Amino acid sequence: MLQAVGRIASLSKPNLSRSLPSLAICNSRYASSDPSCLKEAPIIDTDAAIALPEEQRSRRALESSIVVPIKVDLSPVSGVPEEHIKTRRVRIYQPPKNAMQSGTNNIHHWEMEFDTRQRWENPLMGWTSTGDPLSNMKIEFKSPDEAIEHCEKNGWCWYLDEPKIEKEFKPKNYGVNFSWNRRTRVSTK
Amino acid sequence: MLSSLRTGAQGLWRISSRALQTSSTLQHDSLFVHRDTPEDNPSIPFEFSAPNQKRVEALLAIYPEGHKRGAMIPLLDLAQRQNGGWLPISAMHKVAEILNLPRMRVYEVATFYTMFIRKPIGKYHVQVCTTTPCWLRGSDAVLNAIKEATGCEVGGNSPCGKFSLSEVECLGACVNAPMVQVNDDYYEDLTVEDTKEIIEKLKKDEKPKAGPRSGRFASEPLGGLTSLTEEPKGPGFGVQDALKA
Amino acid sequence: MLRQPLTRALALGSPTRLAPVTTRRYAEQAQAQPEKVEVFIDDQPVHVLPGTTVLQAAALAGVEIPRFCYHERLAVAGNCRMCLVEVEKSPKPVAACAMPVMKGMRVKTNSDLTKKAREGVMEFLLVNHPLDCPICDQGGECDLQDQSMAFGSDRSRFTDIHFSGKRAVEDKDVGPLIKTIMTRCIHCTRCIRFASEVAGVDDFGTTGRGTDMQVGTYVEKMLLSELSGNIIDLCPVGALTSKPYSFAARPWETRRIDSVDVLDPLGSNIVVATRTNEVLRILPRTNEEINEEWLSDKSRFACDGLKRQRLVTPMLKDSRGNLTPVEWEDAVVAAASALRDCPPDKILAVGGEMADAESLVALKDLVNRLGGENVCTEQYFPMEGAGTDLRSSYLLNTKIANVEDADFVLLIGTNVRFEAPLLNARIRKAFIHKETDVAFIGPKVDLTYEYMHVGDSASLVKDLASGTSGHEVMKRLQSAKRPVVILGADQLKTKEGAALLSYTQELASKLQENLQEKDWKVLNVLQRTTGQVAALDIGYKPGVGPVLASGPKLVYLLGADAGVVTREALPKDVTVIYQGHHGDQGASIADIVLPGAAYTEKRATYVNAEGRAQQTLPAVTPPGKAREDWKIIRALSEVCGEGLPYDNLDEVRSRLAEISPALVAYGNVQGNNYFAQALALAKSVQRPVSGKLDVQLKQLEDFFMTDPISRASPTMAKCVQAVLKQKQSPY
Repeated sequence: MLQAVGRIASLSKPNLSRSLPSLAICNSRYASSDPSCLKEAPIIDTDAAIALPEEQRSRRALESSIVVPIKVDLSPVSGVPEEHIKTRRVRIYQPPKNAMQSGTNNIHHWEMEFDTRQRWENPLMGWTSTGDPLSNMKIEFKSPDEAIEHCEKNGWCWYLDEPKIEKEFKPKNYGVNFSWNRRTRVSTK
Repeated sequence: MLSSLRTGAQGLWRISSRALQTSSTLQHDSLFVHRDTPEDNPSIPFEFSAPNQKRVEALLAIYPEGHKRGAMIPLLDLAQRQNGGWLPISAMHKVAEILNLPRMRVYEVATFYTMFIRKPIGKYHVQVCTTTPCWLRGSDAVLNAIKEATGCEVGGNSPCGKFSLSEVECLGACVNAPMVQVNDDYYEDLTVEDTKEIIEKLKKDEKPKAGPRSGRFASEPLGGLTSLTEEPKGPGFGVQDALKA
Repeated sequence: MLRQPLTRALALGSPTRLAPVTTRRYAEQAQAQPEKVEVFIDDQPVHVLPGTTVLQAAALAGVEIPRFCYHERLAVAGNCRMCLVEVEKSPKPVAACAMPVMKGMRVKTNSDLTKKAREGVMEFLLVNHPLDCPICDQGGECDLQDQSMAFGSDRSRFTDIHFSGKRAVEDKDVGPLIKTIMTRCIHCTRCIRFASEVAGVDDFGTTGRGTDMQVGTYVEKMLLSELSGNIIDLCPVGALTSKPYSFAARPWETRRIDSVDVLDPLGSNIVVATRTNEVLRILPRTNEEINEEWLSDKSRFACDGLKRQRLVTPMLKDSRGNLTPVEWEDAVVAAASALRDCPPDKILAVGGEMADAESLVALKDLVNRLGGENVCTEQYFPMEGAGTDLRSSYLLNTKIANVEDADFVLLIGTNVRFEAPLLNARIRKAFIHKETDVAFIGPKVDLTYEYMHVGDSASLVKDLASGTSGHEVMKRLQSAKRPVVILGADQLKTKEGAALLSYTQELASKLQENLQEKDWKVLNVLQRTTGQVAALDIGYKPGVGPVLASGPKLVYLLGADAGVVTREALPKDVTVIYQGHHGDQGASIADIVLPGAAYTEKRATYVNAEGRAQQTLPAVTPPGKAREDWKIIRALSEVCGEGLPYDNLDEVRSRLAEISPALVAYGNVQGNNYFAQALALAKSVQRPVSGKLDVQLKQLEDFFMTDPISRASPTMAKCVQAVLKQKQSPY
């Protein structure tokens, strides 16, 4: 049983949350096998205690069956038109730093975005109009995995665009501006 | 008098209304961008004269290979002296060429230092010190006398083109206040009459005697020494008897 | 099935996850890392290399210290004082950007002293900064705005009740790209340092001093650089803004779409800012392996060419010989019947300089299905020897980023500065920071750094390859640990091209044999256009010469605007179909015009000079009746009766992956090999060479208008004019 609990814990978060009630029961009953470390006597579920061995087995089988990861497909119920699920691609990316600014505050997350469709200027107000219901669907995620999972759930075809922003660390040095015999000696001082 | 009253009144009002004063909008009297003029444009050629060419070589020899740009200020000064006290843009270009530097780096230096004058100037550049010690000793009168005698305005050239007048901050001759500097010479302990005489002589291109006008040799007290008047004591003065040989 | 199965999506959609991450391996491997020192940033311990600045250490700890003058790709200036932080046991706040860490240093980035210091600096900056944010183009993406909100005081002691006026500085004229409002300048000197260090044009500086100090050029002078647009990005305030984009939009109104540039062969990463189906401006996007965070002026400012000279409707030549607008049906039927009626061996398809891989593969498949074999590119590449069979013979094998680690660079007949400005910036970076020396064979050009000019004769390459050269370069090449040889693809157009390539390959392989690092690549061929590499990968024949001589009956120009196919060179009865986005040389000789999409209007694959496939994303929709290029060819194939077996982009890309997996490995680049085999094949074509190497782009004015988009751009035309005018000026 402990192994089962371990397996449950190692599963990814949504699965975990889906199976939380059963997990809670498991925890209270089987979390620690060594009675010496318990502060209190373990609460024994009377149903479990008086169950026949085969009943126990079937119950355990039921418990484990709950934690089997289920592939959720929201597309039939999400109400998104089929055309927008079938034909569109979602780009999962990390927003790039604005070249005009040195701050990096709002770019440490991942976003998903649909491909651009036609936009036009609304003749009434000059605002931008679009016929694309998903045009403003920008969702932020902590990690690409979350984004991928979200897209999978909604049945969107996604792809991941990893930015190439890793670079080796070079210590900056004020002194090289004045270095006597190197080309880093700056002409502007 | 009126103006000082007004300033005082304003000052009072400021104190009552604000804790801080704003600085006045004093702008520098020269521009920090270049404008082409008939007297100063890059198509006027500039070459160092033959004797100055030798000086250029001597100056360059001081600085180690690869760091010849250290000679920039001496070279600019040389060019300014050759060109009658001011530095045309073609001279800056020449210096950049000699030092093999981008021109901008020479412009930067030439605009940074106030002793590089980047517009045509008179033969005699009269700089009047009006900082506190000179001012207390009557530099305003000296300045007015110069204005009158030369016809210059502060920061400008005289109608004859011979003189330029500037008001400068302390030139370090406070003991001999008031003073003016004409080109490389200091004229000290001035009165209005002395000033006029100096200007008149300069008008005739005579060189007035530089230094204090009060009869002092340098910066010693005017009425004779008041201390250190006796003969200096010989060696061993004040030494303990026990230590005497 | 509504969508692709997960496995497919993973394999096709995200190759980046499966492909091994290519990292730069050449960066100072041998150097032993000194022991790290421990410092505390806000009581959080960080271990950093000795010599690291406090600001960098804080960045490692995840604390961002505000800054104006500090920029990680420029020298440290330390003059804005915004990065002042409190360091324990230090009597005064210290400038974090210039202060090296010391063992056990305790930095407080959020203490009262730090906050007070920042407030003070901010107050001083704002005293001399106009309050014109509502009319400032930087508004909304201004470091000064943001930092005064975050770190400034909520009130100012500056009052101008006497209307004596704030400090005001006269604006400078530095050309048609950069608008200056110098009163807004806060003297961070980033533009000066960029011009001097990265662009290599020492035209910016500070004049005057104290309150009269100003940043500028002192004399009226245009900033003569191909990278000048970057100082707009660098400027933390609105002192330097984009002239073409002035008063066009606010950053929050625009939509930013990440894309890839196609105007030079490097494929710099860009962000396209759009509003209401209009491209407003293009900004660089950081990609450490290609463009760092710079962008060349052509890539940045030629975007207004996307709105002019566009082909917006299909056209057919009428009885009087004029192109008249028609519907798509008519044009496609006319084109299809022309294709069907033409004998297959008389069809010539030409892939142009900005053709994307999808349309190239579709066109080739179509021509092949019709029975034709003549699919060519405009740019020639010698087919003797290994030809284009081995990828290593036509790519930048060293990789753009690795050029930084080279210790000797030999350029053969390529003015890198204008052919690939950001590669030149890398070489310059190596020149300055790694003491790399550069040698150049070709006409004397200004590369912005000093180089050894070997000469301009092609026989010099032969001498170097055979080792008989007595030139100093020979010794330097042989003693170099990481030599790089870059050959300009333009040199291969001539009859001696094959021999020149062969000698270069021989030289490179001789150098490579003696290297200690066996995986360092020496040989590089720098292509001139974006379309070339993908076309060669797909199997296009380089150069139209032989086919053109055989007298084709039908010429299909896929964005071929370089002017190598002309009416004069073609037989009288030929039908020319032009498919592309601009009314340029190709469209002017066409009988049938099929309007395509430009790079900002389609999702398309481009392969850069390194062989790195990248995709552009649609930022706007194609104008008028213009359509995505591969779709046009697909439709045409249907009408021809030779329907191509792909109906959507994923299927086209599967086809690309069949040809070469590298074409869909987006963002990644593979290492190339088979240098020895290529050389063995090329040995046979080694003939004496006697020609002179010349480059096409010599001066800055040649750089701006080289392709249909930049030729249509008024901004680029203004640049050419301004540069020519500047050349007349005595400054």
